[in-house]
Amino acid sequence: MLLAEGLVKSYRAPTGEAIPVLGGVDLAVASGEFVVVVGASGSGKSTLLNLLGLLEDPDGGAVAYGGDRVSGLGRNAAARARGRFVGFVFQSFLLLPALTALDNVLLAARYGGRAGPDTRRRALRLLDELGVGHRRDHVPAQLSGGEQQRVAFCRAVLNEPPLLLADEPTGNLDDVNGRVILDALRDRARAGSAVVVVSHRPETLAGASAVYRIHGGALV
Amino acid sequence: MRIGRAGESRGGAAGAGGKTSEAPLSRQAPHSPRRANEDRASPAVVATFRRYAFTIAGIALGVAGIVTLGAMGERIVRFIEGGDRFVLGQISVAGRGMGMGAGFTAGGLLPAATLRAIAAVEGVAGVQAQVMLPLNPSTSQFMTLTQELVLGLDLTVPMPNRHYRTLPVSAGRFLRAGDRRVAVVGSAFAVSHGFSVGGRVTLEGEPYEVVGVLERTLTAPDRFVIVPITDARAQWVAKDRLLRTLLASGAAALTADDLNTGAAVGWKDGEDPDRVARRIRDGVTGVNVQIPSELSELLRSSTAFFSALLVGLGALALVIGGLSLANTVAAAVFERIRDFGVKRALGATDLDLGREVLGEALAVTLTGAVLGVVLAIALGVAVDEWVGRRGQELFLFSGRLLAGALVFAVALGAAAAAYATLRIARLSPAEAIRRGG
Repeated sequence: MLLAEGLVKSYRAPTGEAIPVLGGVDLAVASGEFVVVVGASGSGKSTLLNLLGLLEDPDGGAVAYGGDRVSGLGRNAAARARGRFVGFVFQSFLLLPALTALDNVLLAARYGGRAGPDTRRRALRLLDELGVGHRRDHVPAQLSGGEQQRVAFCRAVLNEPPLLLADEPTGNLDDVNGRVILDALRDRARAGSAVVVVSHRPETLAGASAVYRIHGGALV
Repeated sequence: MRIGRAGESRGGAAGAGGKTSEAPLSRQAPHSPRRANEDRASPAVVATFRRYAFTIAGIALGVAGIVTLGAMGERIVRFIEGGDRFVLGQISVAGRGMGMGAGFTAGGLLPAATLRAIAAVEGVAGVQAQVMLPLNPSTSQFMTLTQELVLGLDLTVPMPNRHYRTLPVSAGRFLRAGDRRVAVVGSAFAVSHGFSVGGRVTLEGEPYEVVGVLERTLTAPDRFVIVPITDARAQWVAKDRLLRTLLASGAAALTADDLNTGAAVGWKDGEDPDRVARRIRDGVTGVNVQIPSELSELLRSSTAFFSALLVGLGALALVIGGLSLANTVAAAVFERIRDFGVKRALGATDLDLGREVLGEALAVTLTGAVLGVVLAIALGVAVDEWVGRRGQELFLFSGRLLAGALVFAVALGAAAAAYATLRIARLSPAEAIRRGG
């Protein structure tokens, strides 16, 4: 499902000096796989996830979804590819603060042209499955961190994307909520999605199809 | 404060795609529908209101500034335009020399024989003798644009001014031929002196019944006291000791009909007023003739300071109000940079974001602009109420001003929102999320 070849990325320091982050990363993830990438803080885990999800452009290398190259697409084509193929779960949830939980979930369907009664019913079902159905009409500020991440997970899977990318999904959660999210991600993999999780927490590794360590800008 | 929450609510989502506008969940839920409805509505509404409130308030203040300054400018424009319209509607003639007459007909005496000579000039349609006197002949009043004048009209001939065939009254009636010791007062004069129809105004020690109050013109007649010319002549004699002495001495062969400070002259249809005026000047001796176009030019040059002030006020209003508005809208969009990043990550294209932001910016700007207009009008009415006790009026909220302010505000708000959106759209989603973190 996901193929990354020779991904290179560096950032510019305020002095103008290039700071290399990734030095040629290759990664292949098949549908149904649950892949975990671990590494020290600042090792480039999140950068890798951003490149895999087309959230930023690599300096070199390419990414393909389902055999189609998606690197180098224009802004709008990349946005459409993300909407069609990828669901994101972020460490800081990134819910829109003025929207209710339900509307945050439905946001995922808006840009893919999937909004409709069926989608709404599906969103409600997902919220119920994750145990936050009773909070559907609350805004994020009225939700706990665990509840927010559950809502964010519902948003990520609403469109049933073939690829799920999770960046430290349990980083801001307690153990109970962390387990709920990880179990849900594993369930998605079992249901056929390709799942890539970036984490530094050991409990993430359980049930992983593959575990990679990122070190010195490369996966080992 | 942000723009755009409405578009993210159910209504907004429907607006973007028209596909999430089903009935609220609470109506479908079997349990405690009323409670659910309240719970559902309040947090989102409150959050939305909080995020919008400061943006709308900022826009409202900017627009209120534009409209308030603009209304002062409109007031000055109306004053100048009104005077211009009046002088272009008639040929103003006075006697040669310097008399005590005031206003448009300042000059020496204009005897009855001269009026008859003017009436005989080719192209002249009518001549109306007038007496125009300062109500209070102190220098300070005489020299101001807002001086109060007594205007005596010969009511036996129709008003020759093509732009003011009649002076419309808001209460009572206008003067009629044969009237004596009655007066029609201008609107500002009536307010500042507390006169209304049926009241009595004392002029040179004589009581006059107020039979009418003119409609507001926002120009000179608002401060006029209009009386029959016979009464005005009597006032003139009473005011002017030199004239009294002259008449009593019998040194000059003057009758009451000769006591005119000027005349309003009309021209026949198809005649060029400037040409008729030159014929009068060339054909009648002892007159000062104002060529209408020259008088208009003179009026405009004498009000050049006000025109410049007006341009300055307008520019200042547009710059200050416009900057305030554009800055508020752009800041509201930039503040949402993280939300844009998230939407990008979820698949939003430039068009999706642009459509949402533009729609929301228009709604928020229009709301703020309307509130700003209401605020400005409320302020203007309050100030005018206060200064109106002295017969002043500072603001004119014309339709063109209000429409222009709304169009300007909405266009500027949309432009500022579009600019900010374009700046943000150039960022990668990851960068937008990082910056908005």
